Amino acid sequence: MGLIKKIVTWGRTKSPWVLHFNTGACNACDIEIIAALTPRYDLERFGVLLKGSPRHADVLLCSGPVTRQIGDRLKRIYDQMPEPKFVVAVGTCACSGGVFKGCYNIESGIDQVLPVAAYIPGCPASPKAIIDAVVKLLKSLEES
Amino acid sequence: MGQAIYNILVFPGLFFLILFGWAAEFIDRKIYARGQKRVGPPWYQPVADFIKLAAKEDIVPEEASATSFKLMPLIAMASAVTAFFYIPLWTTEALFSFYGDIIVVMYLLTIPTLTFFLGGWYSRSLYSTIGAMRTLTQLFAYEVPLFVVILASALLANTWSLSEITKFYALHPHLWIFNLLGFGIGIIALLGKLEKGPFDIPEAETEIVAGSFTEYGGRLLAFFRLTLDIEVIVGASLLAAVFLPFGLNLTPAIGFVIYIIKVLFIVILLAVLRTILARFRIDQMLDFCWRYLAPLAFIQILINLLVKGLLLR
Repeated sequence: MGLIKKIVTWGRTKSPWVLHFNTGACNACDIEIIAALTPRYDLERFGVLLKGSPRHADVLLCSGPVTRQIGDRLKRIYDQMPEPKFVVAVGTCACSGGVFKGCYNIESGIDQVLPVAAYIPGCPASPKAIIDAVVKLLKSLEES
Repeated sequence: MGQAIYNILVFPGLFFLILFGWAAEFIDRKIYARGQKRVGPPWYQPVADFIKLAAKEDIVPEEASATSFKLMPLIAMASAVTAFFYIPLWTTEALFSFYGDIIVVMYLLTIPTLTFFLGGWYSRSLYSTIGAMRTLTQLFAYEVPLFVVILASALLANTWSLSEITKFYALHPHLWIFNLLGFGIGIIALLGKLEKGPFDIPEAETEIVAGSFTEYGGRLLAFFRLTLDIEVIVGASLLAAVFLPFGLNLTPAIGFVIYIIKVLFIVILLAVLRTILARFRIDQMLDFCWRYLAPLAFIQILINLLVKGLLLR
């Protein structure tokens, strides 16, 4: 049993497929996420692929403070992903709400709606920070 | 009996096909990455992808027809693997062979495409329905040229069996030169069959998410991906057997190495074409296939008829 679990964990850490979802960001973090996926940084080295369908994805990359309108949609996208799944909050707004914290029309952070596995601060979070967070998330998976 | 089971399940059957398919996927992705000045995935990437997908949760959409939805990946993989047994690999004799197996192989290779259509259709999602329709439309474009060039080669050999065809070309080693046009057409049609390169219209990520596979996840998607990997090897082996009949009468070990080189040559050719060409629209693809590819395939038949009439008297 231990060996099979080890092999499965190895597979999971070597092949995280990401889904990118804008939860009301100003687009700066989205551009940085796209930049991290371009040939310049080449995330396929770590097995990371950008997928369009929630059914294929393992990691949900969210950027932006969750607006009231997009909260339900975010939950629905999360429910469509098969287990095991992880949510990564990209940017200060996604971590805590940022400059919009306490605004009447936002939820102030992804963790108000979904369980978050990794936070990436920065306005916007740089591609290097995003790669660092993904690697740290995979390491924590390996250890647990 | 034991020998047959060993041949079907281990070598040169399912296990060998899966390993070779993963190797081909890695080579394909690596060449694609190098073409974009990237480092590319490590060598174990296809294995890791398969293990991860196989260990994930299976979700069947509420609207979908559950039995058909779950059955399609298995049917696709079974038919792709079955087609492999009738193709001569490193000798002139296939594992199983009978008169007319060329037709059976062609139809068995069509079944995975049909399951992509049915799987997409039964998932009842908008994106998968569009992808399914595109899969079927594309099928009508590439299938005719592919059938015609392979049957043109059979016409020259005057037989309906793949093993007999390779025996004929092993006896007449220079005749493959006349089939070069057919080989080119076969490569382009194979790109369409594998939904790769300029013909990845049915699963165009930038337009329709993932086409037929949009609703598939977990184990079912893992089997669909494995089917596509296996189909690359089976299609390349078919083209190698029909159009590149070299080194068939040597000792098994050397013949095996030559077979691997032939298949890898076709895989690399497919990967390079995928890297350098951008995606067509579905109407452009149909236009190209019917206006240029199909007439060229009929010219191949004409060439073979002339060769048969003038040289093989």
